[in-house]
Amino acid sequence: MAVVKVDKLARSVVEGPSLMTGSIPTRDWMDIPVVFKPGNYAYPTKPNILEYLDSLEGVSFPNAREWNPEDDDWKLPENWKEIIINGLAERLGKFRSLKIFMDCCVRCGACADKCHFFLGTGDPKNMPVLRAELLRSVYRQEFTKAGKILGRMAGAREMTVGVLKEWFMYAYQCTECRRCSVFCPYGIDTAEITMMLRELLHLVGCGINWALEPVANSNRTGNHMGLTPQAFKGNIDFLCEDIENLTGIHIEPSFNRKGAEVLFITPSADVFAEPGLFTCMGYLLLFEAIGLDYTWSTYASEGGNFGLFTSNEMMKKLNGKMYAEAKRLGVKWILGGECGHMWRVVHQYMDTMNGPADFLEVPKSPITGTVFENARSTKMVHISEFTADLIYHNKIKLDKSRNSHVKATFHDSCNPARAMGLLEEPRYILDHVVDNWVEMPANTIREQTFCCGSGTALNTDEIMELRMRSGLPRANAVRYVADKHAVNTLACVCAIDRATLTTLMQYWNPDVEVCGVSELVGNALVIEGEKRADLTEGLRTMVF
Amino acid sequence: MVTDLKETLQSNKKKILSLWVDRTLNSYIASGFFKSSGDRFANPVGVNIREGLTRLFDLMLAGADPKEMLAPLDQVIRIRAVQEFSPSQAVAPILELKWVIRQVLGSGRNKRPPAEELDNFDCDVDRLALLAFDLYTECRELLYKNRVHEIKSGRYILTDSACASALAGNKKTGCAGVETS
Repeated sequence: MAVVKVDKLARSVVEGPSLMTGSIPTRDWMDIPVVFKPGNYAYPTKPNILEYLDSLEGVSFPNAREWNPEDDDWKLPENWKEIIINGLAERLGKFRSLKIFMDCCVRCGACADKCHFFLGTGDPKNMPVLRAELLRSVYRQEFTKAGKILGRMAGAREMTVGVLKEWFMYAYQCTECRRCSVFCPYGIDTAEITMMLRELLHLVGCGINWALEPVANSNRTGNHMGLTPQAFKGNIDFLCEDIENLTGIHIEPSFNRKGAEVLFITPSADVFAEPGLFTCMGYLLLFEAIGLDYTWSTYASEGGNFGLFTSNEMMKKLNGKMYAEAKRLGVKWILGGECGHMWRVVHQYMDTMNGPADFLEVPKSPITGTVFENARSTKMVHISEFTADLIYHNKIKLDKSRNSHVKATFHDSCNPARAMGLLEEPRYILDHVVDNWVEMPANTIREQTFCCGSGTALNTDEIMELRMRSGLPRANAVRYVADKHAVNTLACVCAIDRATLTTLMQYWNPDVEVCGVSELVGNALVIEGEKRADLTEGLRTMVF
Repeated sequence: MVTDLKETLQSNKKKILSLWVDRTLNSYIASGFFKSSGDRFANPVGVNIREGLTRLFDLMLAGADPKEMLAPLDQVIRIRAVQEFSPSQAVAPILELKWVIRQVLGSGRNKRPPAEELDNFDCDVDRLALLAFDLYTECRELLYKNRVHEIKSGRYILTDSACASALAGNKKTGCAGVETS
């Protein structure tokens, strides 16, 4: 740090912000260039991943190359500007919503202080209105008369390399969580603006590896991590062994079984990484307890769909795989695990992309007879809806005392909460599986829930600081209930949350563990014939 | 006229805290919201920093043990350790208290307290700044530990497991997760 003389310091009080604490003098946002430095950007996509994706039918990922955001020269294709403007024109024609979102914002500011990235950084370009303005300014310049004539006076600006860099910075400082949209009087879905920014950036080969490598793996082997069918089955068999050691319950799940009534699809993270593993053990125990006729698939072995964070064509392709597998196996309907964005794709996009899934039956619980009318078109039921229905009809036996080590709170995952309205079912389940749990403050839950800060493929370690600051609003609310009510467990229904909130808690609230709601169900389940050890930490207990 | 420093600081507490908090929050580009919103859940940065600095000031006036200062210091430093500040900028607000106090006591009808007392108080501030540096370092170390933990808890399992494409050395398949280079 430069030595700051007192007279300068004194002057700074009068003339501007502090010199010592690193503030940047206020300038018009258009005049502040972005600066890429380690920790504030995710690594670009590896060329071989992009080449592979570009070779696929129905999707386009051109301009693969080695490039570094910190370099001045991003090695853009020569006609990059033309590509971007044409790409924007194409999307304005294709998506009516985008055209409306570009025109109808009155800059009322209702969204400005609702974004967790803004709240954690204080960077005005993380105000949703300004993030959208990054695109709108170019839209005005190219597609409106006022912008063409008045330029900057009408909030328009030329598309330059600097603007493109700004897009890359801020399209990847948005988790598409849609909290801002809840407060927008016009219902502008800023997440969809981020989606468009990312699509446009892909046209010139600017994307992030943490999004596109899982996409490539998912397309090739069926899941984000590229688990082969053998490895996928091996991991689940391993979990069944653990369950038997813990509870005495022997489970032999089936894989790729034609004619099963239900196909179960969950994020692959539940199958291979802590703490999702324990959630997966919860599913396995629940299905065994009720004798569900279901099968896993080693091809549709991923609920997550990073296509949503990439391009609409890629999202459609990955979503289609689940339904193709359901058709191939001849199941009646699909049961989905605790995933976040899978449910946004299913509820908001699937029906018009790949649906309606007329070859499947309207989901009906074989145990309770309940018909899930809400899934009449998509034919896919959320595990929390399914479990809550079982509890409501008294079809499973639960012993809350088996969760006596847990004092829980519930984090509404962005997509189940805001994209499908799944608010009551997880809470109903919690009421029946734990003795006591508490809500976080009202403006941090349900529709107003704060994002984990690492969604939309931002859960990569190279931007750890960014994730910690964007996750601060969520962590801050958890800290409040941890201090006030001695909460030690943060339950949720999303695989990305389970992974990222774990790290977030390790930084902000190290005494709080993260779990899936189905893990707590698995802990509490009383199953006939069980020989259960004294599981003081539920399914996490180490038994030798 | 000789005045007792702590009494003077106490009587100027509102002004001192106001300037101290203001200067600290000025280090954010769009600081208006951080300064204005008092909702601790809607404005975690602003409220935690205001609360942390206020508690620190009270504890210093009370001559509290440094251990007691760790919690409020943590409230400020843990946040700044993950924001876009250099290490010195992250802990600078603590040292700025010295300047803030002189600024406030030098204005209006305040009598300047004896230099010796002020020197002693400056030492307290310096000690607090050193504690802040310790905390900052702890936070950064935790970040790196968490990075390693994340990598170990999932990804490495797969880089060690059998991926047919990687075994065949077929890079065109795009299975970069299993690259061994």
